[in-house]
Amino acid sequence: MTQLANNAPLTCEGLARSFGGVKAVQGVSLALPAGAVTALVGPNGAGKTTVFNLITGNLKADEGTAQIRGRPIIGLKPWQVARLGVARSFQDLRLFTQMNVRDNVLAATERGAWFWQGGDRRARLAAAEAAMEATGLTALAEARAVDLAYAERKFLSMARILAAGADIWLLDEPASGLDLSSRLRFGQLLRDARARGVAICLIEHNLDVVVDLADRIAFLDRGLVLAEGAPREIMTDPKLAAIYFGDRSHEAAA
Amino acid sequence: MIAYFSNLATLVAIFGILAVTLNFMVGFAGIFSVAHAVFFGLGAYAGAQIALTVTPNPFLACAVAAGIAGVLSLCLALPALRVRGEYFVAASLGLQMVALTLFSEVKSLTGGIGGLTNIPRPQVFDVEVGVLPLALLALGVLLWAIHAMANGSFGRTLKAIRDAESAAEALGKPVAVAKALAVAFACAGAGVAGALFALHMSFVNVESFTLDQSVLVMAMVIVGGTGTLFGPLVGAVLLLSLPSALSFLTFIPPTEVGSVQQIIYGLAMTLLMVFRPAGLLGDQNKGKSHA
Repeated sequence: MTQLANNAPLTCEGLARSFGGVKAVQGVSLALPAGAVTALVGPNGAGKTTVFNLITGNLKADEGTAQIRGRPIIGLKPWQVARLGVARSFQDLRLFTQMNVRDNVLAATERGAWFWQGGDRRARLAAAEAAMEATGLTALAEARAVDLAYAERKFLSMARILAAGADIWLLDEPASGLDLSSRLRFGQLLRDARARGVAICLIEHNLDVVVDLADRIAFLDRGLVLAEGAPREIMTDPKLAAIYFGDRSHEAAA
Repeated sequence: MIAYFSNLATLVAIFGILAVTLNFMVGFAGIFSVAHAVFFGLGAYAGAQIALTVTPNPFLACAVAAGIAGVLSLCLALPALRVRGEYFVAASLGLQMVALTLFSEVKSLTGGIGGLTNIPRPQVFDVEVGVLPLALLALGVLLWAIHAMANGSFGRTLKAIRDAESAAEALGKPVAVAKALAVAFACAGAGVAGALFALHMSFVNVESFTLDQSVLVMAMVIVGGTGTLFGPLVGAVLLLSLPSALSFLTFIPPTEVGSVQQIIYGLAMTLLMVFRPAGLLGDQNKGKSHA
């Protein structure tokens, strides 16, 4: 863990958050190393998305700390966390539905909220074109997001993240519902980003995708990290498999 | 007759300014305000006071009106930063009611119920100028500015916030700043319209800044097409000229004109929303209910 943390642009320690009486996340510690895919795996309601929301500032943590390159981020607003190099996707995508594909992607390159943008406009346009090219959306640049097919919407969500130029990616079920060929294209996007040194955290239910892409797995259940390690170790642990597939009989026995 | 049409054209231009600026808030930023008449009123009182006490120069009146309406629009921006949709409508409704009470009570600034009278005609370098060319100039400048913003990054930011606020924020956009700027710009525009209105009428009182007026401007935006550049202007032309056009129909007995007018007017609005839900110039795929 410490060895990894040295190379990790994002670390968190003991993150906790309750909703009423429900402890959604209780003391999660994670380090996302650069150039690696860390998969967050666990049954529904394990607290995976809540961990993302605590990191990005969408939810306030009751306890715990998180740092980006040593800078504390708990208490920052989501846009401030984003400006430190974090890009996230949402399970429900949250595309800019009435805008066309190009504007969706261009919007990801623009952080200013004033009447004008600082910086190099041509570089932003180039980044947007490159992101559309990489996700196969160039031909659909003028189509409205709301009119896209399911897989295209998922790739548009990825295109926004690519265009944002972040080096920490938090992806919430980005491959769910994709057919095999789309999934392969998605896998290639992730491998390319990993090769560029992006630290990727992936929430994913499809274990084929996890085994294929993840360098490390953190197994969450009921707001706790039960195990962390290489995919082979985690996937072959019968206890974790039982929890994942909903069999909790071993707990009753214990 | 010329005086009649000149008056109508001036009012269309002034309400056109109100409609295109409200559309900027509603259509681009997704902020549904039913308090636009408040900023119209603030601008009217500010412009009237400048003309009455300082100078009849209309440019100063408009500038001060824009400044006051723009700065005080933070009262509207603050709830807009916290709540959306129907919740914000309720918040702006509250603001509209408070403002109307203040307009009729702060007599030293607004003249109370009686209003401000004998506002001098606008003059530039001691030459009297008509309000119509001034209003057309202001409308043109605002349309140009809105067109430029709509196609630029600021418009993109606002539309992104309208479609998915949390995603816009997750891309590093300070949503609060963008919303406050959009509201300030739109309300400053309404302030300019108010100053021109005061100079045109040479009399203002609280009757012109009621909830009815806010709703009328909102109707102009919706009828013309929210989020389009010229739609709200078309809405302003229609909603202001339709009642006068109906009064030319000779077969309606003069005593019934009022109620017939209301019925035709209401029916036309309802039918429009059924057959062209996104407004006359709007993208018709947008307004339809998909359920």
